[in-house]
Amino acid sequence: MSHPSELISAYLDGELHGPELKSLLDHLAGCGRCSVDLEELQRVRSAIRSLPVLELPEGVVPEADADVVPIHRNRGLWVGAAAAVVALVIAVAALVTPAPEPVSLEDLTSRFGARATLDPAFNPAKVVVPPEVSE
Amino acid sequence: MRQLVALIALLTLLPATVAWGAELDELLTRGNEANYSAEQTISCSTPDGVRDAVVRITQMDGELRVSSSVTDEVEVAAGGGTWSVRRGDGLIAETAVDAGEQEKTEPLYTVQEEAAVEYLGRAAMSYLLIRDGEPRGELTFDNETGALVEAITFTLDGEVYCERRFTSIDSQVESTSTLDTEAAADTGGTAPVEVEASPLPEEVSGFELLDQYEDEDGLRFSYYSDGFFSFAVFETPTAVSLPEATAVDLDSGKYVRAFTAGQVTYVWETVNGGMALVGDLPPDLHEAVLDDMPHPQDPGFFRRWWRNLFG
Repeated sequence: MSHPSELISAYLDGELHGPELKSLLDHLAGCGRCSVDLEELQRVRSAIRSLPVLELPEGVVPEADADVVPIHRNRGLWVGAAAAVVALVIAVAALVTPAPEPVSLEDLTSRFGARATLDPAFNPAKVVVPPEVSE
Repeated sequence: MRQLVALIALLTLLPATVAWGAELDELLTRGNEANYSAEQTISCSTPDGVRDAVVRITQMDGELRVSSSVTDEVEVAAGGGTWSVRRGDGLIAETAVDAGEQEKTEPLYTVQEEAAVEYLGRAAMSYLLIRDGEPRGELTFDNETGALVEAITFTLDGEVYCERRFTSIDSQVESTSTLDTEAAADTGGTAPVEVEASPLPEEVSGFELLDQYEDEDGLRFSYYSDGFFSFAVFETPTAVSLPEATAVDLDSGKYVRAFTAGQVTYVWETVNGGMALVGDLPPDLHEAVLDDMPHPQDPGFFRRWWRNLFG
């Protein structure tokens, strides 16, 4: 009795149709060895599919480099997200940073006045009346 | 021959009618050394309206004290490089600066003796202050004390800018000094600094940069004078608070401006920080002076924020 192991593999790949498929199914119904082979093959396939997908380093398989492209495309997304986070931090910092105390006109007038007193042209006209005194 | 005789006659008569060459510094220095108390009215016609004040002045031993004639709450005491402002019993602000080495500048003004007058029933002398051939001021000095009893300043087109008139004067004054100039000198006022990369001009519209000062907070000011009017230009790391100001749009940019009785203040912003001009210069000189200073420029959000954070 011949055992159609190639057909089992093709069956698992979904490549058998019509009489070939019927012939194999009839054989599997009466052949314990081939049924065991089928079960083992199915287990191996399931185990392989459950393994994590690893990315090959660039250049190891030149043909595979094309698959890396989508990762490069995703970099734009990451950069945008990082920029948004930085902008958010800046905006929050700008909101929570207290504005420095402004310089008062009184302070400026005081400095100007102090220096003006050293000027030979100093006279009462140089003494500026603070706004509270103006009428 | 007839022309020569006429010229000699003119030259002979001229000194009798017009006395040129009286030194402005001498007149003002004598005025600053006078001891008196007085009441003074100030009225300035500014582009933003009239600014008036009535103040009481006491000058004694080189110290000038100015307070409101209505309320004694605020008093300015000035002299010898020191300036203090008191409200009630509290000292609000006190500033002391050192003179540094003062260079005698070329006099920009000529002083023309105008007339012997009577002012407040006292003998006085009136002088005309001339710059570039145009009268820019009329000053009247009390003969007895040397006090400047009346000062009228003009714009270039001859319009009156500010009138300051004593309405009373008393030469019998007791010393009631509040200004501790010696203490200020001991503790040391802010000394002039050498600013190597200053963006400010050495001379602008006849005003000469005399010296520059900088404090530990990075506030720098530069003092300009033309021999009579003067102003200071401030470069500040932060904004300048200017209450009751008016927005003005000049050729050099947008400014915020405020007048008080005798003083004008302009505030603007550049990419390097805030700037302000404080002085007593007449309005016709404002544009020319500001045009030679760093122009207003919006620093933008990030520069402003950076300055807020790090100064």
